[in-house]
Amino acid sequence: MTMLARSALRTVRPLGAAARNAASRTATRSASTSSSTAEGTASSWKTNALPAGATLFAIGSVAWYYQMFGRNVDAMTPAEEGLHPTKYPWEHAKWYKTFDHASLRRGFQVYREVCASCHSLSRVPYRAAVGNFMTVDEAKALAEENEYDTEPNNEGEIEKRPGKLSDYLPSPYKNDEAARAANNGALPPDLSLMVKARHGGCDYIFSLLTGYPEEPPAGAVVQEGLNFNPYFPGTGIAMARVLYDDLVEYDDGTKATTSQMAKDVTEFLNWAAEPEMDDRKKMGWKVLAISSVLFALSVWVKRYKWAPIKSRKLVYTPPVQSKILTKLPQPPNKS
Amino acid sequence: MGITDFFSAAWDTFSVPSPDAEAPVQGGSSTKTPASGTDEESKDEKEVNQKDAKSQDDGEQGHKPGDKDEEEEEEEEESVDPKDTLEQECTESKECSPAKHHYDECVERVTGQIESDGKAKEDCIEEFFHLAHCATQCAAPKLFAQLK
Repeated sequence: MTMLARSALRTVRPLGAAARNAASRTATRSASTSSSTAEGTASSWKTNALPAGATLFAIGSVAWYYQMFGRNVDAMTPAEEGLHPTKYPWEHAKWYKTFDHASLRRGFQVYREVCASCHSLSRVPYRAAVGNFMTVDEAKALAEENEYDTEPNNEGEIEKRPGKLSDYLPSPYKNDEAARAANNGALPPDLSLMVKARHGGCDYIFSLLTGYPEEPPAGAVVQEGLNFNPYFPGTGIAMARVLYDDLVEYDDGTKATTSQMAKDVTEFLNWAAEPEMDDRKKMGWKVLAISSVLFALSVWVKRYKWAPIKSRKLVYTPPVQSKILTKLPQPPNKS
Repeated sequence: MGITDFFSAAWDTFSVPSPDAEAPVQGGSSTKTPASGTDEESKDEKEVNQKDAKSQDDGEQGHKPGDKDEEEEEEEEESVDPKDTLEQECTESKECSPAKHHYDECVERVTGQIESDGKAKEDCIEEFFHLAHCATQCAAPKLFAQLK
């Protein structure tokens, strides 16, 4: 490329010079006879045609290549891709912060009163709530509100018993098919790991819950039975907007605005997806503290052990030399 | 008393007590009164409150308008979602004016198409995305500062 460009530059300069010469000559000598200058310019144009054309071809092919392969190519339209969720400054996402457990309690309330009618949370047992946002008695009372199958009794019959702390949260539908049948063919996904399962995590869920516009933008086609949500890939989501202001009544007196409920339930779902987060961060601090002490110690030990080796000095003191001749027996001095 | 007892006692003294221990005993041991969330107590309270209210009404007439006002205030006190107001402000801010300009223009164009041709040749989803992205990004820190 550079070679080509350089040759092109080289060709341009004499071209310009020739043109200038030709212009001045024709201006001065057009009236006179000679046609040799015209021949000269023609020949110089011919010699420059090849490199100039090659340069043009090179530039053109690069331009074509760039417009063909150099641009971003999106397989999907923005609408199909969905609007990327905005990054929100989640407090619990900071690496020195825990979950806000009051928020978890509120979020669980929102889940139980709003989401649980369609979405299961099948990987979370009641015992997980104990000590996180509920007391034992509260969790037990909650578990006992539901019935679970017993082990087969002596006649082989399976009876029902009230729930225990070790039971898992009940699902609203018996199976996926029942869920589909009840929801116009759309399956409400299990929310246990939803924060981990979706691109954007908490931001996505918060945006999805709060992002329903009053009406879809002009020209947008929303299929029947679907709702417009910019954050859902394809923008048509079967779930309608569910969170409205003052839908639930928080027992700690927090104002239940839409975004407050969405924030709480998102944080709760993040807890459901990674209940180990608080412990993990605590453990991380311990690891950092201990390993930094150990590292400092190892540096000190290394320096301690190497100090004599690094600071020693090898000195060679040659033995006192005397001339070997002096050691020979001297001839008797005759003088 | 062995040395292990000493360690367990020391642990109990200095460790955070487990949540199992601190659950308050509520209303005896029956399962009919779980810790919270039942209507029973509130019903009782309601009855008592109603009686109180009735007696008050009977006794003092001066309270009536005041009570009404209070009720109305409670009803009027609908919480407004800060997200909507903040994003509205952001949409009209200078920061998002290009996106808003494009969106408004698109809406005008598409509604014109629908009116003249009966159907839209394009949609404003992309313009809407840009506007929504700008508005939410502008509102995000302010919103989370307001939420609990």
